[in-house]
Amino acid sequence: MTTSRYLTEYDGIVKTMQMYIDGSKQGKSALMRPAFHPDASFFGYAGEQLAVGTQFLFDWIDKNGPAPRIEPRVVSVDILDSIAVVRLEVAGWSGNLAGSDVRMSDLFTLLKMPTGWKIIQKAFHWHA
Amino acid sequence: MPERNTPQKTLESWKQIAAYLDRSERTVRRWEATEGLPVHRREHEKQDTVFAYRHEIEAWSRLRTRCPGDNSADDAEGLPALKPANNGYLVEHDAITRTMHLYIAGCRAGDGDLMRPAFHPFATISGYCQSVEYSGSVEHVFQWVTANGPAPNINPRFARIEIIETIAVVHLEVQRWSGKLAGANARASDVFTLLKLNGEWKITHKLFHWHDQ
Repeated sequence: MTTSRYLTEYDGIVKTMQMYIDGSKQGKSALMRPAFHPDASFFGYAGEQLAVGTQFLFDWIDKNGPAPRIEPRVVSVDILDSIAVVRLEVAGWSGNLAGSDVRMSDLFTLLKMPTGWKIIQKAFHWHA
Repeated sequence: MPERNTPQKTLESWKQIAAYLDRSERTVRRWEATEGLPVHRREHEKQDTVFAYRHEIEAWSRLRTRCPGDNSADDAEGLPALKPANNGYLVEHDAITRTMHLYIAGCRAGDGDLMRPAFHPFATISGYCQSVEYSGSVEHVFQWVTANGPAPNINPRFARIEIIETIAVVHLEVQRWSGKLAGANARASDVFTLLKLNGEWKITHKLFHWHDQ
């Protein structure tokens, strides 16, 4: 990747991830929805329950409410031209559904679209 | 148009960064050089135009105030500190980031001694510099950085910070290298291994690749 392209793509990816972080922090799925491709998939275990589908995520975020103390860290960003993989560690989750002081590990796959980088897949692990 | 009540995702100038941290511009500029304040620069803009991600500044700020006697912003707001059990990953991630920012500050300043504390005393390096292999003591890096002089425009991004208990791997992408040895606008991909020594993260090896122009 040429010198200027890497930075542009990296920053574009982080910008998309920030929408997800903002939506999580404020408990507003409307903020994170634009980060996702309309056909994105979503999987993970929410306690005993298998969570499937982005609507589950968006409903969960809205029901959970604000999580103002989440501490997100970007662990890795792998960019391969039109696709990318991002791992996020998010500590300090709180809220109606999260409880208190919970950590999640999130893996995202993104696709570069004309409208920007979009999440096409999210898988999460909720640390007990 | 930003939503009302939605905090700005990025701070778009030294002035905004200083206001956010409630300090003078002079202080925050100094913090970039000496304390690893995570600021970024955009391509095609003047070297002195900076921006910062709010979440990175927040993380840096929390780590910095976690010292006895400091006025912790957390305490002032009555927020509970993160419990160690769930805080462990964060603490290590942030400590590694601070070590890496020492390296970055040394590169920016063209000062090998500034970055020295980031390295294990027996650290080594491997890589090619204009087709010449440099494998051996990390002293090569300190000498090269000093001889190269300041590289004020470097624009680093963390591509990976992988932590496994007492060891870590960091992949750093550094754009806009300049200087007597680096040239005008070079890109380097650096892979570092680190070891947690006496509670501090030290770089044990640096592997580097200069990209063709």
